[in-house]
Amino acid sequence: MMTLIYAAIAIAFLILVIGFLRKALLDDPDEALTEKSYAASVGNGRWLDLSERIFDPSDVRWLAEELAFPKLAKILITERRRLAIRWLKALQASFDEVVRTPEIIPNDAVMPASTGSWQMLWLTVRFKLLVSYALLVVRLFGPYHRLMPSIAWIPFSRESEYSLRREALAHSRSSR
Amino acid sequence: MHIIGRFPLFYSYIGYGLCGSIVMYLIYWFRHGSYPYAFWLYFLLSIVVEFAVLVEISDHLFEPFPAIRQLGRALTISISFGLGVVYILPTILYSSGRHNALLGFALRASLTKAAIIGALLLAARHYGLRLEKNVAGLILGFSIYLGVNIVNFSAEQIFSHLYARILWVMSPIAYTLCLTVWLIALWDFVPVPGTSTMSPVSRRDSEAVPFELARFNNELSKLLNK
Repeated sequence: MMTLIYAAIAIAFLILVIGFLRKALLDDPDEALTEKSYAASVGNGRWLDLSERIFDPSDVRWLAEELAFPKLAKILITERRRLAIRWLKALQASFDEVVRTPEIIPNDAVMPASTGSWQMLWLTVRFKLLVSYALLVVRLFGPYHRLMPSIAWIPFSRESEYSLRREALAHSRSSR
Repeated sequence: MHIIGRFPLFYSYIGYGLCGSIVMYLIYWFRHGSYPYAFWLYFLLSIVVEFAVLVEISDHLFEPFPAIRQLGRALTISISFGLGVVYILPTILYSSGRHNALLGFALRASLTKAAIIGALLLAARHYGLRLEKNVAGLILGFSIYLGVNIVNFSAEQIFSHLYARILWVMSPIAYTLCLTVWLIALWDFVPVPGTSTMSPVSRRDSEAVPFELARFNNELSKLLNK
């Protein structure tokens, strides 16, 4: 029985490898990428303004509390969730595009042993983890949920925050 | 010579295989009693050397892309270390008898290498990378060799006496098949794809990549901290 399982693993592995290699050698890598939508430019102010609007709950609150349209507010939240997911996916696609930027080095030359390449890998992995986490939170709790978990409920953190404030206040008084 | 300089670890491994086989034949003919020990030593060393070849393959996969140049190496080392500790080490420590321990080690090392190749190909697919013919051939040859080894070692572990004679024939056949694939794939040197085969959307200055990566991270961190 175990041999059969291992044989199945080996066959599945070989099929996977041949499938991947066939695609990687024959397909145009840009085909898959053209289907994705990109963030126009992250440096572009309008693009960032869009994220401010998507993740800002003030108009939903205004709709629900001041105008008393809770159903409309719910519809707006659903739409915003969809937009937030699309925004995050576009951001991820643009990031992948940056990652795919090739470095052109003549074939005779040896690849530079860049000390920064591990740092760049860290930035890439960090971004991937954060964006996956953000997508998960938006999918599960919507766009208006706090993305970073708050630690305010921990008594220690409240105390330390309070002591930090007190120290800052004392320092400002003594400097006057 | 061009291609030897491009894959130094792989050609060292081939050299090791060739010299090792000659030495093994000499031991078999002249010091028959020492052959089993010499064989297992040669075999275990070759398993370790194969990990080094995997590191070289992984380096070549992501070579043209500075942002993920070390991704292959990071995946290879972390999977080797992780599975080495939780999957390979227990079979060495807790197997009953040397024969089972060695076979268990060989089987699990082959599965670990297969997992590394799978992870590398998934990462390459995720980023839509185009593989060059030489590296694709190396991966295919290695995969055939590993696939046959996995079936062989598991069958040998379970039907030890029945399968021993088949294993004696199957292992060299698998290695010959693997060598044939490598011979075809590495017959001529295929350079790293030039800019014409790269994504037209990604034609930007590669020196700006670290700043772009940092900027994306900053923007996302700002969003998460709100």
